[in-house]
Amino acid sequence: MQANLVWVLKAVFSHYWRHGWQTLFLLVGLIAGVGLWSGVQIINQQARLSYEQADSLLGVQASYWIRSRTDKAIEVADYISLRRAGFRQIFPVVEAQVSTEQGQPISIIATDLFALPNNLQVGDEDDTAADWLSFVQPPYRAWVPGELANELKLETGDQLLLRDGRRLPPALIKNHSQQGRQILMDIAASFELLNRETFSYLVVGNIEAGQISQLETLLPDRMELVENQQHLDLRELTESLHTHLSAMSLLSFAVGLFIVFNAVRFSLWYRRATFLSLRLMGVSASLLLSAVLIETLLWSLIGAGAGIVVGLQIGKVLLPGLGASLHSLYDATVDTQLIWQFDTLFKAWGITLLGLFWALTWPLYQQLRRNSLPANLISRVSLDERRSRHYLALSSSALIILSVILYPRIDNAISGFLLLGLILFGAAWLLPTLLAFTLRLLSGLTSKSQLVTRWLIGDGWTQLPALRTAMMALLLAMTANLGVGTLVDSFRSAFVGWLEVRQSADIYLRASQIDYERLLDPQKSSVWLADSHRRIGLTSRWQGRPALIRGVDTLAPDSLQLPLAQWSEETAESTLKVWQTEKNTLLANEQVHYLAGIRLNQTIQLKTDQGPVDYRVIGFFYDYGNPNYQFYLPYDEVVSYWKQYHPRGVALWLNNNDTITLQLAQQAMRDAGAETGDWILQNQVRKLSLNIFERTFTITAAMNALTMIVAAIALLASLLAILQERLPQFAQWRALGVRSQEQMLIIACPILIFVFVAWLLAIPLGALLSWILIHKLNIVSFGWSMPMRWDILPAIQLGGVILLVVAATLMLANWQLRRRMPNALAQLGELA
Amino acid sequence: MRVLFIFFYLLSPAAISADNFEILRNDVEGFAKVAPGKHFDFPADHGPHSDYRIEWWYLTANLKDQQGRHWGIQWTLFRNALSAEPAKQGWSNNQLWMAHAAITTPRGHQFEERFARGGIGQAGVNLEPQFEAWIDDWIWQSETKSLFPAQLKFRIADREIDMQLSSEASWVLHGDAGYSQKSEQGQASYYYSQPEIQIAGTINGQPLSGRAWLDREWSSQPLAENQLGWDWFSLHLNDGNKLMLYRLRHKQGKHWLSGSWVDADGNTRHLHSEAIQLSEKDFRQIKTSDNDEIILPLGWQINLPELNRQLIVKPLYDQQWMATSFPYWEGVVLVDDENGVRVGEGYMELTGYQSP
Repeated sequence: MQANLVWVLKAVFSHYWRHGWQTLFLLVGLIAGVGLWSGVQIINQQARLSYEQADSLLGVQASYWIRSRTDKAIEVADYISLRRAGFRQIFPVVEAQVSTEQGQPISIIATDLFALPNNLQVGDEDDTAADWLSFVQPPYRAWVPGELANELKLETGDQLLLRDGRRLPPALIKNHSQQGRQILMDIAASFELLNRETFSYLVVGNIEAGQISQLETLLPDRMELVENQQHLDLRELTESLHTHLSAMSLLSFAVGLFIVFNAVRFSLWYRRATFLSLRLMGVSASLLLSAVLIETLLWSLIGAGAGIVVGLQIGKVLLPGLGASLHSLYDATVDTQLIWQFDTLFKAWGITLLGLFWALTWPLYQQLRRNSLPANLISRVSLDERRSRHYLALSSSALIILSVILYPRIDNAISGFLLLGLILFGAAWLLPTLLAFTLRLLSGLTSKSQLVTRWLIGDGWTQLPALRTAMMALLLAMTANLGVGTLVDSFRSAFVGWLEVRQSADIYLRASQIDYERLLDPQKSSVWLADSHRRIGLTSRWQGRPALIRGVDTLAPDSLQLPLAQWSEETAESTLKVWQTEKNTLLANEQVHYLAGIRLNQTIQLKTDQGPVDYRVIGFFYDYGNPNYQFYLPYDEVVSYWKQYHPRGVALWLNNNDTITLQLAQQAMRDAGAETGDWILQNQVRKLSLNIFERTFTITAAMNALTMIVAAIALLASLLAILQERLPQFAQWRALGVRSQEQMLIIACPILIFVFVAWLLAIPLGALLSWILIHKLNIVSFGWSMPMRWDILPAIQLGGVILLVVAATLMLANWQLRRRMPNALAQLGELA
Repeated sequence: MRVLFIFFYLLSPAAISADNFEILRNDVEGFAKVAPGKHFDFPADHGPHSDYRIEWWYLTANLKDQQGRHWGIQWTLFRNALSAEPAKQGWSNNQLWMAHAAITTPRGHQFEERFARGGIGQAGVNLEPQFEAWIDDWIWQSETKSLFPAQLKFRIADREIDMQLSSEASWVLHGDAGYSQKSEQGQASYYYSQPEIQIAGTINGQPLSGRAWLDREWSSQPLAENQLGWDWFSLHLNDGNKLMLYRLRHKQGKHWLSGSWVDADGNTRHLHSEAIQLSEKDFRQIKTSDNDEIILPLGWQINLPELNRQLIVKPLYDQQWMATSFPYWEGVVLVDDENGVRVGEGYMELTGYQSP
């Protein structure tokens, strides 16, 4: 039995040796699919792991923070008295934002490593004593993560120049866990650099429940103990983003599987004769099935193993970009060093096995159940093709009906992506029927005398089975490309417009110690200052999520132009009027509407220091990129209801747009206690915001491009399969006097017709995809809305790209054909 | 002679390389040098000598509870200057503090290690307005500028140690009037002790009392290159005599031995290398972590021919390992005479048997 199995295996596998190209495509399909899926899986996993360790510094996790209630920083003496009271798990942190000479913002984090509760069991294995010694001693060291160092073009020993002329300590390029994109330095170095003598906050490491109340009683009134819920918050806030990424990776996996289907279809075709011979030679169906199962297992192992290796590389490339985005959007620190987890390998193997079983084993099993093969192979294939087209069309209708049922029930990202999946696959499975319909339509339009055209259409019927899966893959890739493209363009235009209104001030100033009275004194400032907006705020929790409560000047220029998405009065202007005059009204961001389900004019309750207070929500404003709930209240209202609010800076509008006015403004800010670096100009803010925006979509663009490449490979694989299958036929054509250009025309035309139909279908399908992404998924995932901006131009551009891909593929196919033709002709001669 | 090497390993959570050693060795330049003929000035010399590189305040105590069971405590504050510049106040201070504390109870041994930078009030030694040595909430606080009478308070895990220290005895200057030579190449330290301290107090409310020993030592020079580690003893004998002796182990050749014999009246006799015969009698295997073990010489024989004394030293129990950044064995030992009669107790320290 065993010997028989080996013998059968040899026969079954001989196909792959004979058809190297198809073996390669099978591998490419598997590896690309698994690679893209596992790459995203790995970075998602990495990000989630990082959230679990949110706010851990050099391996110490914050369970609480001690912050100043008044936004004045924490004094060293207060910290020392807590340490001397025995709270060894408390250590100080200085956090600051500085700008490079080019205006790039840099986060600095500093601590006292000797005060960390883990007794210097910190750092990585490659940290040497010399590294630590230099870290704590003048001139100190700035530990810059590798990725950031590359961006800033920093080498070890370089001292990064800041916009205000200061320099960071000499750089040491080092990645530490949870450092993310922050530059780490000693507290002493940060005090020197930032010219300060106080901490931003204190971190409380692991603390027993009994000690918390003891600590609370010890804290002076000006300080508060805040529990770290950041890892929980981050998990919740970023969940949708990760679902989006997972969905894209599953799409890539599906496109990869199409290549596998194609290769498998080819192997099925070619091995019919082998299987028949084997059966005739007395090999039992079960033995043959065992051999095919072993084949499936082997391919799945190779595909998963190599796919994971590719996935790790993809993860390595995509992770820094995602890390930077998560840092800017959610303030989350994500390690740029990949952490390998074994379960990813098993999952990858699992889905590969499942996919292969579906693509390879099941059809073979079906085939083997037939006791004999039909004598007329061609008619049987044609019958099979028609039947499977019908099955696909029926399944497609079922998917579309399901999607119609699901549509009104979408309330989270997962159900949204399920809907998208149903629509995409529904459309893809309908495609073969549409292609057949097109051929039928064309043949109906062609008169009997147009022989060449009829031949072209006839060849289209021959090519259809082979190109079917490749066209479906191409349709999916084009639809995703157009759909996501429209989403990004719509978002970009909404975001840019919104930025222009929201960031209309010329200067944004934020510093902990500013003499506002002096700065905004009308007597002194009238020369340069046209208007100003002082804002205050506090972070609270509302409906289990972080909520920002802002006290704003309702008459400031940016408040008067606040872009509202929904309003309760007749117009947005009249709604803003009500907000200015009527007590206990507030404006909330769209996230409050979409994520918390609050409607216009609904009354919500906010916890204030005076007890709970009811507010009527009279409008929702656009608040792109904000993962938190946000409420705008009049300045005085916040002052009267809350004690622990913090200044949130001041926006300044200048009298004139000239250098002298700007210099006057800068001098006035310095006189009021601000230092260079405390303020940022409008154009810098906008540039920064747009940078963050673009970076956020880098990963989307990368996934899109990779999916397109996979689809192009699917097309190439199909074409080469056609050549291989039809080589004897082509040889006959040549023998009958058909020239090679004519032959290429006959092959190319049906392909171009198919691609054109797929492209035509991708345009409305892409628009539908983006409509659902914008109006459903974006709202349920992130809680903000925007108008959809559709344009035909990207579709035309995509059409051009696809034409190029088809042309390149045809050229390659033509080259293959020329190479093989002499041999095929010779064989034809032998047969004759 | 105590954990002189300790700071060399301090800043290296990972394995220390030869290069790092070199950096530390070069840094010795610029520090004050130890030379013979120093006049000790008390209480001023109880305070820190920040122009020297390394210094410690090292207290060990043998205690008994009401049932007569043996207990022990170790409380040590180390100072290390990271550079030779004068110490500044504030965060740019170059002094680094480390503390080790351990208790040996009838049920087992517990220890803890702490670090702090100087200049910010988190750790240090003050003489004004009275003597105070502390790191976080571990504190030795005297009522005067001298070291006694004082209160010693610290906590290890869930054990709160609160002790009163007192002593009227005169200070013992080791070596040549406090100049303690450590090698033939000239390595040396200033070294004085107070071996006669009465100690009484509580550990988690349980009353205990006994005898304590304080070592004060400072230096700028590391050990000689051929020295691997040391074996150190401080013993209280029941007849009122006290013995301090140490052996610096050399890679090759004769080890460096030195000691002091203090009689009941407080007279000190310096013991030269030739006056001491020290030999390992018993090797034991102990756990250094959950996964590692080490074999250490925990039983010793000390012969002092000039004084006609033979002492057998053995641990109260084996497992008194300090798994700190620089790991070593330090714990309560019991002393018998050659006939096996209990004649005293003390502390023993063994270093350099396991690299950090």
